[in-house]
Amino acid sequence: MSEAQLETALTGREAPGDLAIEIRELTTRGMIDLRGDAGDGKFMAAAKDVLGLDLPTAPRTSAAWGEVQALWLSPDQWLILCPRARTEELLAALRQALAQIHSFAVDVSDMRTIIRLEGHAARSVLLKGCSLDLLSPDYAAGTVRRLRFAEIAALLHIVSERPDVLDLYVFRSYADYAWEWFLANGRAVAAIQPFGQQAVPAV
Amino acid sequence: MLIVHCPVCGAEGDETDFHYGGEAHIRRPATQDPTTVSDAAQRDYLFMRRNPKGLHFERWRCDRGCGKWFHAVRDTVTMDFKATYGITELPPRELMEAASGEWAAFFKDKLDAAKPSRKGKSS
Ligand SMILES: [Zn+2]
Repeated sequence: MSEAQLETALTGREAPGDLAIEIRELTTRGMIDLRGDAGDGKFMAAAKDVLGLDLPTAPRTSAAWGEVQALWLSPDQWLILCPRARTEELLAALRQALAQIHSFAVDVSDMRTIIRLEGHAARSVLLKGCSLDLLSPDYAAGTVRRLRFAEIAALLHIVSERPDVLDLYVFRSYADYAWEWFLANGRAVAAIQPFGQQAVPAV
Repeated sequence: MLIVHCPVCGAEGDETDFHYGGEAHIRRPATQDPTTVSDAAQRDYLFMRRNPKGLHFERWRCDRGCGKWFHAVRDTVTMDFKATYGITELPPRELMEAASGEWAAFFKDKLDAAKPSRKGKSS
């Protein structure tokens, strides 16, 4: 009998050296989909009891407490991030605390693949695949945004700025596509300059 | 390109960030007793849609934002979005008044019902 083994969608992939950005898959993160009424004080308090943080209610924001983070997805939906090994324990605690409250919490750790983009060109590479104005101050550290990226649904989390660290969440079945997209569009020679005159490529 | 504004989360983007959901304010003819609904009423509910020149009232979904459905008023001549409003709400009064044709007929009793005197809110 063979043991079931966790294998992520991008296991074994390595980015080539000529990319303008650093990319890698984050493989040790657990994710919990949490839904409930943000207007219900009991729900918010119970969530805080377990997670140690106030669920963010302002659109496109996030909150963190230690190794737990909450990303705003909708007025009544959050993506809870935690170390993968803690997911089960956190989920059980959430369900217990929320048992009498109209809500739900589900382990979705294998639903999405997380691709981490790092480097000063991270935003300009991502700009090639989406319509967001990623260079505006709206996209400061902590910002969370669902977006249409290279024609697929994705979730962007600006982890930190200068140097930029961006986490892009795509559904697992699109992981290969998204990864290849970055290899094709993230090459150093394909770097774009957002403003001003563009250099004419050598023929 | 259409620029759409979500009234729920404030996201603004072009129409590829949103999803068109057909005509707004469609009511199912009867939910209590379906056997009393005439074939004509059921047909109209399922298939008959308005096709106005000018203001049109639609449902949209904030597909790449908060995922919520909302209502929008779009001018079919200029493609300009005049307003967006909640999925359980009626359009802004001035837009109900500005509607023409079938929409004007549809909103007439809603405008009458919304007259300030009825609810006596001013007292
Ligand atoms: Zn929205």
